[in-house]
Amino acid sequence: MFKNLNIWFLSSLLVSIFVLIPILTVFSSFFEDTSNYYQILKNTFLLEYITNSLILLFCVLIFTFLIGTGTAYLVSFFEFPLSNFFKWALILSFAVPPYIYAYSLTAFFENYGTAFTILKNLFGDANYNRNIPKFDGMLGAIMSITFSLYAYVYILSRASFLYQSQNLIDLGKNLGFSKFKSFYKVILPAARPAIIAGLSLVAMETLAEFGAVDFFSINTLTTGIYNSWITFDDLAFANRISSFLLLFIFSLFIIENLSRKKAKYHFNARGGFKQKEKIKLNGRQSFLAFTLCFLIFFFSFIFPLSQMLYWTLKFPENLFDLQIIDLLLNTIYLTLLSSLFLIVFSLISNYGNRVTKNKTLNILSTLSISGYAIPGVILAIAFITFIAWFDNSIIKSLGFTSIKKVFIGSILGLVIVYFIRFYSLAFNGIKSGYEKINISVDESAYLLGYSKRKTFMNIHVPFLRNSLLFIIILISLEIIRELPITLILRPFNFETFATTAYISASEDLLEAAAAPSLFLILIASLFIIITSKYILRENNE
Amino acid sequence: MKKITIFALITSLFLSTLAVANEVNVFNARHYKADAELYSKFTSMTGIKVNLINGKSGALEKRIIEEGADSSADLYITADAGRCGAMDAKGHLQGGLTSAAIKAAVPKSFRTSKWTGIAKRARIIYYSPERVTGAELSGMSYEGLADPKWKGRLVIRKSSNIYNKSLVASLIENNGKKATAEWAKGVVANMARDSKGNDRAQIMAVAAGEADIAVANTYYLALMLSGKKGAEQQAAAKKVKAFFPNQNGRGTHMNVSCAALVKGAPNKDNAVKLVEFLLTPQSQEHFTNNTFEFPMIDGVSPSPLVVNNLGLDFQQDMKTKLASYGKNQAAALEVMTAAGWK
Repeated sequence: MFKNLNIWFLSSLLVSIFVLIPILTVFSSFFEDTSNYYQILKNTFLLEYITNSLILLFCVLIFTFLIGTGTAYLVSFFEFPLSNFFKWALILSFAVPPYIYAYSLTAFFENYGTAFTILKNLFGDANYNRNIPKFDGMLGAIMSITFSLYAYVYILSRASFLYQSQNLIDLGKNLGFSKFKSFYKVILPAARPAIIAGLSLVAMETLAEFGAVDFFSINTLTTGIYNSWITFDDLAFANRISSFLLLFIFSLFIIENLSRKKAKYHFNARGGFKQKEKIKLNGRQSFLAFTLCFLIFFFSFIFPLSQMLYWTLKFPENLFDLQIIDLLLNTIYLTLLSSLFLIVFSLISNYGNRVTKNKTLNILSTLSISGYAIPGVILAIAFITFIAWFDNSIIKSLGFTSIKKVFIGSILGLVIVYFIRFYSLAFNGIKSGYEKINISVDESAYLLGYSKRKTFMNIHVPFLRNSLLFIIILISLEIIRELPITLILRPFNFETFATTAYISASEDLLEAAAAPSLFLILIASLFIIITSKYILRENNE
Repeated sequence: MKKITIFALITSLFLSTLAVANEVNVFNARHYKADAELYSKFTSMTGIKVNLINGKSGALEKRIIEEGADSSADLYITADAGRCGAMDAKGHLQGGLTSAAIKAAVPKSFRTSKWTGIAKRARIIYYSPERVTGAELSGMSYEGLADPKWKGRLVIRKSSNIYNKSLVASLIENNGKKATAEWAKGVVANMARDSKGNDRAQIMAVAAGEADIAVANTYYLALMLSGKKGAEQQAAAKKVKAFFPNQNGRGTHMNVSCAALVKGAPNKDNAVKLVEFLLTPQSQEHFTNNTFEFPMIDGVSPSPLVVNNLGLDFQQDMKTKLASYGKNQAAALEVMTAAGWK
């Protein structure tokens, strides 16, 4: 028994240590001297980083809240043309990462861009450029992030609305509230934990956002970390900004976790409610609801998809240059390897938690999922810092050959950092799968003389099969869109769709970024369609 | 079977780092298709495999620095002398680009023993012939960009951009830091809008009437005129004209794409061979016709698009050493930031 406990314990401990390494690396340099050569510049920039991050965060939160809860409310409570389609179509925006949205915005609205071409073809030659609005800079970044991330709020608030009791809705009606008033007086407050959980996820992702913000050259805390590392050569200063950012993000992370617990309590109360009936909308209201959902679907998904498709067709030579098979194989390779490690370790941890109910183990697992909160840029930089330090001060002083090449610029290093970043996906996924297997199942198995191992292999794993599939798809979705970690740590001659698109775009070859972006969107959409039922938790449909 | 697959998958993780071959490792910040074509030509001619890691220059430099003496990098190829100079200043390059072939091909002010230019570009002024008169432009210099007559008429990209850093570094080298700080304030006061977008966006802003003059590199106009960016941009490019500044003085600010030899390069000889290959007339012609840069060596003509639309007979600044771009880079960023240049 004690020996078994050790295995789970060690495995959880190992994962926690891996996750803790970057965090400790960041905080340990907090007190290091930063080079004062650029002191004046740094003070100027730090203020700008903080202001920009706050403006971005504030605007994105407001817009994702309005769009996310608004559309979720419409499709959860009402019937109107295509409402069943919008239910899952609205999640497709996830397939368009903010940086690709940013490319589309620029391609469409820039001087002599697609909008100009359309106007020229419709109304003849003239200088339309001055009348075409320019969505770049901060405004562009806010739009790109909002349209890509509102789905977090949409999914979680929709799941919460779905389980709201009809009684609650009747209450609003009985009080004589209008539809709108019962929405914000009754329905929204009841879904608060879920909405806060969604918004915290949006906030974390917004603060961590790299690609779109970098493309529009907005200096936020995250790009500031990257730039001070690169421009100022000042890892200590980069890490100091990271410490600020991490403190901020961890408070969001805690809020999210607490809200999620409350939100879950909400889901569990499914048993006793009256199945609610959707209200059929007619006439003007139906038209309005349809238009709103359609516009959101159009701007979040159809617009970037069409722009990328249009450019791929307009500049087809870039499509022929694209090594689609290689990129696809690289993506599959990364996904499978990462999934394998992620699933093995999270299975062990979850199983350990289940059979031992050990408190320390529980704390360790909570710790180990915090990697998701750390922006990819910080993770990658901290990982390199740590390996360089470890190599210089331990490995070499013991007289061994350098291990840097094994970890930096290798698939192994890449997979380790993905592991840290996405562990929570796998862990939480398996955890929720395990929650559906009653503990009495284990007890019956033991009574039948099954060993623990046999219980695990023959009972748990088959039960968890659907969850595992779902997790692999979620991990694929994340890895195919992932940018900063892959960019910084990938080996020679190794590209993904995301890095190919980013590098073309950063070289002012936006039209060459279209083809890899298009493939990225299409593959991610496929994954989303496969899992949409699962994400929406629609057991009844 | 399953176990074998998993085992194979895991071992392949490590194998990739152990392979040894006749190769050269290039940390590459130039992502032109033309470059990739040259590399494969090099491989088929010499049998030396070119391994590429593509990225933005900053990130590549950092990886070279953090990997230190153990870095696998042989060559660092990037699009600005300021970057090669900065890597040299930090002590991450080594001498060795001193073969007779390199020395014969590249003028002295465009190379050191540790890095060399492989293709040239000029950073020039573009103007709208409709709104800017010849008299206004007559005798125009970079220094003149701060003249109040351009108030609200100038566009130029952000101060964080390396081309601007190198341009300002060259001004510091020629006019001193104090004068350049005053100049930067004048430039910011003349801007038609806050700096944004890439070089091409500056040219298009002039074409679209948002500004009268723009500062951008030479090859962008040729790229737009070539039609590779679509018919609209081709038409837009025809609405602007190129002007080479400082013709009455030291000449137009020149910059290069450079190749630098990384300290501790595991395949130093192959790296030198690759650089020599990039400086052959055939490679240079390939550069000029595809990226629209100016050739680094004598005897090769720029692309007809460049010759016909930008002209050839301009005086290049051969006096200001390109090594000063790296040296003055920090000071350049400082004066621009202090002036409120976004």
